[in-house]
Formats: sequence, C-alpha cells, structure tokens
Amino acid sequence: MSPFETGLGRELTEAGISGRLRRRILIELADHLACDPDAVLGDPRALARQFANELGSARARTAALTSFAALALAGTLFAAAFALSPSPAFGAVPAGAPLYGRLATLVAVLGPQIAFVAGGLAALRWLRRRRSGVLAAAEAAMIVRRAALGVGAGIASMASLGTLAIANQRYLPGGWMTFAVVASVVGLGALVAAVPSILAAVALRPVADGPAGDVFDDLGRLAPAALRGHPWWFALAVAGALATIITLAGVAGSDGFDGAIRGIGDALACLLGFATLGRFLGLWGARSEPAMR
Amino acid sequence: MRAESLKGHLDALILAVVGAGPLHGYAIIEELKRRSGGALALPEGTVYPALHRLEAAGLLRSSWSDGDGRRRRVYELTRRGQRELRLRRGEWREFAQAIEAVLA
Repeated sequence: MSPFETGLGRELTEAGISGRLRRRILIELADHLACDPDAVLGDPRALARQFANELGSARARTAALTSFAALALAGTLFAAAFALSPSPAFGAVPAGAPLYGRLATLVAVLGPQIAFVAGGLAALRWLRRRRSGVLAAAEAAMIVRRAALGVGAGIASMASLGTLAIANQRYLPGGWMTFAVVASVVGLGALVAAVPSILAAVALRPVADGPAGDVFDDLGRLAPAALRGHPWWFALAVAGALATIITLAGVAGSDGFDGAIRGIGDALACLLGFATLGRFLGLWGARSEPAMR
Repeated sequence: MRAESLKGHLDALILAVVGAGPLHGYAIIEELKRRSGGALALPEGTVYPALHRLEAAGLLRSSWSDGDGRRRRVYELTRRGQRELRLRRGEWREFAQAIEAVLA
C-alpha cells in the first residue's frame, strides 16, 4: 500500500467514513494509482473531507426528502381517519376505556403536531438548500434531527391511531376501526421505510464549518423583515396570529369566549413548543454552532 | 484551464463522458482530458467524490468489474442521469450562445 493510500485510509476514518464505503474508496483510488503511478490525487486529508462533505450533504438531503414523503403519506391517512372519526375516537374518552387507550389518544393528539412541524421544517430546509452543494456539518445535523424527530413522532402517532382504535373498539363503528387499523399499518410501514435513510445520514455527516441557520433561513423572504434576527419576537407574532385566528373562528361560530380560551391555549402551546423544541429543531440559538469534527 | 473555472460544470462533464458508455474512474478522467485536448486537466482526486455524489443522487449507477487482475468500479448513466444530461446540455447551449452573442 502506497503512503497516499495509507494516509487516505487514516483520513477517511478521521472524517467518519468507515466500512464498505471506506473500502470502496480505497480500492478505486488504488486502481487509479495502478493505472498511473505518477497521478497526483491531492492531499489525502482534503480528499477525505471532500468525500465526507459531498456524501454527508447528499445523505442529509435524502433523509429530509424521504422522511417528508413518508410523513405526507402517513399524515394523509391520519387526517382521513381523523376526519371520518366518530366522537369517542379523538374526543371525550369513554369512561370505560382502558388506560392504554387513553394514553394512545393523548399521543394521537400531540404526536401529529410534532411530526408535522419537524417533518415540514426538514423539508423546508431541503427545499432551501437542495442546490447549495456542500452543507455545513451543523446544518446537516440539524436537518437530520428534524427528519428523525418528524419520523419518530409520526411512528408514535400512527401506532397510537391503531392502538386507540383497538382499545376503544366497543365504542366505535367497526368500519372506522378497520380503516384506522389499516391506515395505522400502512403509515407505519411508510415511516419505518424512511428510517434507513436517516440512519445513513447519521452515520456519515459533512465536516464543513458553518452555521446551522435558524427559522429565518427556513422562511427566507417569507419572514417579515422587522422580525429577522429576532426568533423570539417571531414566535410571539406567530402565537399572537394563531390566538387571533382561533378567537375569530370562535366569534364566527357564535362562541367568542370559548374561541378566545382555545386561542390563548393554542398560542401558549405554540410558545411552549418553540421553547422546548426550538433549539433542537434549529429554530433559534444555532447560528454559531461549530462543525462537529 | 483553471480548476475554479470548471466549478459548476463538473457534474455535466462527468455525465457527458459516462453517457458514451460505462467507464471506471481513471478512464473517465482520461476521457475528459482527451475530449478537451488536455485543457480540462482536473485535480484527479476531486472526480471521485463527484462520482459518488452523482451516484447518491441517482444519476449514475456503478458495479464492480474484475479485469486485468484488478477490481474496478464501473459507472454508467441511469435513466434519470440521461434526462439530467439532456437538460444540462440544453442549458449549456443557451448559456454559451448568450455569452457568445455578447462577447463576439
């Protein structure tokens, strides 16, 4: 083995490239040197980092896109089940319902919202960066976190849909229960199929320096200029808009008080979500995150 | 020609060369040099990450081939790669015509 190959092997490992991919790269470069022993292949460290940057970026994008596609299918099935559901399914839990059914109902209410936000954000950043070439390590990690949380919450949601249908079957029409269980299985299948792309992106990340960006990098020009650089003001504006819309919907439905209460509750939930998951999802506080390696 | 001048065109160049038939990495680089009369002398190592990236994007596929007592990774265009090559060729012709119209 030439000094170049030895050095490249070491640098590939250093850049997080291992296993079959590492072996394949070494075989290809060894073949090149066998064809032309005087070939100048460059600095092994720079080459290994280029492999990690190119492939890590591609994998992060694939993970975001695959996850979003799976979440779109699962989300459509879940929405159909929700729209067709009789009141005991997602509404007031029947008094005799088992504990696991109650827990499943809780997860079925919260899980889709987290999956929608996380998966949507992953897809949004994919859309913004789909032709940007190499991603910064911090940004790729953030995209994969979003995709992983979206798919994880989606799996929990679809599992809870099937669980609550079975747990509350005594109170639910047979046709809906069958549909909910089938939707749950199909949705779970799609989401589980997206997991390998996420694992592949976790296994190989780019090593380029740069910021992960925040919610304003997701929204681009859609974010009002006055709020750019101020994620918390942005979150307050979104929560305020949400409260106003829900209150007005309540007024239109001739129950303004109930609308206002629900509006304030949803606005607080929005702020709570921004506070608890915002950093993890790269909505705020990630601008100066350093490269991972 | 400087390597910086090729930035943004490398993918199209690789797709065009592989479009003529399956080739391994070294042969792709040699073919690039041959077709350009030696003007496109890329830093050779940089072509391999691009090949892997194009494969990850579904534009190329590759397989092992055993010849001359060596294992080689041979690349060929996928259907998607053929479509992408047609698109890139069209874009390049439009671009080149516009620049030529201004510079000539």
